[in-house]
Amino acid sequence: MKAATRQQSGNTIVDVSGDIDMGTSPRLRKLLLECLPKTPRLVVNFSDVRYIDSSGIASMVEVLMKARNSHKRLVLYGLNKTVQEVLQLTRLNRVFEIRKTEEEALQV
Amino acid sequence: MSCDEGSPPRRIPVQSVNGPLRFEITLTSDPRLLGVVRSAVEQFAAALGMEDAQCRKITLAVDEALSNVMRHAYKNEGNHSIQLNCQAQADCLEFTFIDRGEPADPARICAQPLDEVALGGRGTHLIRQIMDEVSYERFPDHNRLRLKKSLPGAGKQP
Repeated sequence: MKAATRQQSGNTIVDVSGDIDMGTSPRLRKLLLECLPKTPRLVVNFSDVRYIDSSGIASMVEVLMKARNSHKRLVLYGLNKTVQEVLQLTRLNRVFEIRKTEEEALQV
Repeated sequence: MSCDEGSPPRRIPVQSVNGPLRFEITLTSDPRLLGVVRSAVEQFAAALGMEDAQCRKITLAVDEALSNVMRHAYKNEGNHSIQLNCQAQADCLEFTFIDRGEPADPARICAQPLDEVALGGRGTHLIRQIMDEVSYERFPDHNRLRLKKSLPGAGKQP
């Protein structure tokens, strides 16, 4: 898994690629938690994420809870079928704010 | 090989003259190997003619079970051995995990009700949601976890 950050319209976007699993999710969790205090909206680009497991989902839930507690937004976009299926199986597809494109993720 | 475009997935016979299709992997409990096993399991399910969505779910369940062994039985120590046996029976796929780590907590093996915003506990829930049978046995010197998935058209296991 690789992850890189960039700024767009005053928000932080994290571009993630590869597999998010038990071995890689701690690094993604750490990066997202570091980014959260510095932005009003944290956007995570999943376009190049091939796979996510329950540890990756748990990391995303933790970031979501922290975002809500600090009145910030966490927006995910570009989810492939595999990631969408895991969110559906864990009944989290309606808990996260999910958009199709970066443009939609950055809309007010 | 020729493929007819648009034709439905075709079930490939799982029995050969040498018995059921099967393969075994012995790996160290290092999470960097999870991707290797995922690739093998997904291709195994695909080779049996299972649909893509089903292949992905089965792969997820096996990956979650393997992660649990690494995390709970071996306490995230990456230098222990795990044996994974994958076998296609006439009516089901069966995955058997053998490790020599700590015994599993029965309360954890039984999936808890899913709490949407809980930080943990989803792995076991996913396994039970995807697989038709999940059984765990503790032996004097090892743990054995078995996951079974009925093959399409074969009907549920009794």
